[in-house]
Amino acid sequence: MDNELFMNTEFPTPPEMATHFEHQPSSSSAMMLNWALMDPTPHQDSSFLWEKSTEQQQQQSIFDSALSSLVSSPTPSNSNFSGGGGDGFLIRELIGKLGNIGSNNNNSGEIYGTPMSRSASCYATPMSSPPPPTNSNSQMMMNRTTPLTEFSADPGFAERAARFSCFGSRSFNGRTNTNLPINNGNNMVNNSGKLTRVSSTPALKALVSPEVTPGGEFSRKRKSVPKGKSKENPISTASPSPSFSKTAEKNGGKGGSKSSEEKGGKRRREEEDDEEEEGEGEGNKSNNTKPPEPPKDYIHVRARRGQATDSHSLAERVRREKIGERMKLLQDLVPGCNKVTGKALMLDEIINYVQSLQRQVEFLSMKLSSVNDTRLDFNVDALVSKDVMIPSSNNRLHEEGLQSKSSSHHHQQQLNIYNNNSQLLPNISSNNMMLQSPMNSLETSTLARSFTHLPTLTQFTDSISQV
Amino acid sequence: MASADKLINTYVPEKDVFALHFLQSLSNLRTQNPLNSPDKSIDRVRKIKKAAYVSMARAAGGTSRLWSRALLRRAAKDDNKSVRFSRRKRKVTWKISSKRKRSNQRAPVVEEAAERLRNLVPGGGGMETSKLMEETAHYIKCLSMQVKVMQCLVDGLSPK
Repeated sequence: MDNELFMNTEFPTPPEMATHFEHQPSSSSAMMLNWALMDPTPHQDSSFLWEKSTEQQQQQSIFDSALSSLVSSPTPSNSNFSGGGGDGFLIRELIGKLGNIGSNNNNSGEIYGTPMSRSASCYATPMSSPPPPTNSNSQMMMNRTTPLTEFSADPGFAERAARFSCFGSRSFNGRTNTNLPINNGNNMVNNSGKLTRVSSTPALKALVSPEVTPGGEFSRKRKSVPKGKSKENPISTASPSPSFSKTAEKNGGKGGSKSSEEKGGKRRREEEDDEEEEGEGEGNKSNNTKPPEPPKDYIHVRARRGQATDSHSLAERVRREKIGERMKLLQDLVPGCNKVTGKALMLDEIINYVQSLQRQVEFLSMKLSSVNDTRLDFNVDALVSKDVMIPSSNNRLHEEGLQSKSSSHHHQQQLNIYNNNSQLLPNISSNNMMLQSPMNSLETSTLARSFTHLPTLTQFTDSISQV
Repeated sequence: MASADKLINTYVPEKDVFALHFLQSLSNLRTQNPLNSPDKSIDRVRKIKKAAYVSMARAAGGTSRLWSRALLRRAAKDDNKSVRFSRRKRKVTWKISSKRKRSNQRAPVVEEAAERLRNLVPGGGGMETSKLMEETAHYIKCLSMQVKVMQCLVDGLSPK
């Protein structure tokens, strides 16, 4: 999946190409040359192939074997080039260089240093003039510049080479740019200047790559970031992928995927719809390597290290955590839930508790019905005087039977039952029902009314039993 | 309580509110049946139970809670009365809840428990799991308050 960052659409799979090399040495060399000369689209193929082969050792070994086969193969490849017998040598060097770039065992920081792959000991001299290990370069370079000119005059080649070197970044990560022949290359001929552009990109990459913090999930994106940051023009075809990953990086690594924006938007909607109390910056979860981002419009959720960065899975994770929060809340409510651990058992406990409460309500209502046949005749209106503020009950319902009837019927009812208005409900409140404040206000208000007293509870029950 | 309460509102009024509402409903029952002896005690029990639930729903916040709203609607439908609901401040997020139900990647353990809860808690059928648990928390609080009120009443009114 990470390689898809670099992937253009139609690519042959690298093993196919590599094995193709292996099996058919002559045609493979022809193919490699065809890479050099063909149109940009196959060049993309080749660059991709190079890149792939750099990443995977196995393919690299295949590649190296292909290289060696190339090296060993004689001159039929030379026919494509104008120029003399130095062509085969040229090609070998070039390919060796490219192989060198791809190999992880580079000797020095130079690309154009000795183009030494494992099997390329026959490659003598570099193309440009970095501080080479062997100093017999000058002649060779003179010789080679002309065919090299022609060879590298192909515009696609530099592009490919540049791209390829960028793709070979893995090998240069730990390196500084000390030995890279940027300046030297600029002193050279035009074409080698083109070639040095290839070298400069790893220089830039070597510069840039230490800066990029390697998160667990961001490690693959490092490659394309310097690509985006490098100022090379020929790196244009692969620009969609660096821009992609760059924006992913620029998102602060939120979720690490392109869909983080959509996910963030979705999260915002979900959050706002579900809980308006939660602030907008709520979902920030810090990664292992980076500090949490400041809250923005969306609620950003970062994928944790080692977890999928899929937007769905992130949403799942947030939702799970929400549910876990509420479970904790419920745990406090339900008695005896502290010992139980695990969601399933706790949920069972909660369900049992709700069921038990409902059964209790039913049982008590049964009891009330048997007990309160005649005992419920007390003046509710006395309890609900106009001066009494009922806290926090928002009765905007107009359901019949509760309000209108209570106001109409209870003026004349059972005044004789009540002896003392302060004693009925305080007796009930002795069972922790706090009706003191309404009762206090009632004392003042009911004096103005027709009835003067409310019974004590015992008196109340006695009088009712007498009825 | 957990600090999550600040985010999740599970405020429940004091006991006296519940008591008030319940007593009102009981007295209304009383006036509705002046004969004091309906044919079967089961009917009376049912009426009292329903009065208890309705008063609890009303005391707990009227129509501002999903479960209370569903409860009141259910009760009103039985009595062929109409319940007027206040305007919901939040827009209905049917899209999201339906989207969530479609994706069956939720933990099945949690989900089957949520199903059972939905059957218990009034109005639970339309909610998704996290919302359901909020409502359950509030419902549990209100239920326990109502049970206490009724217990007190029964204790107060039962012969000594």
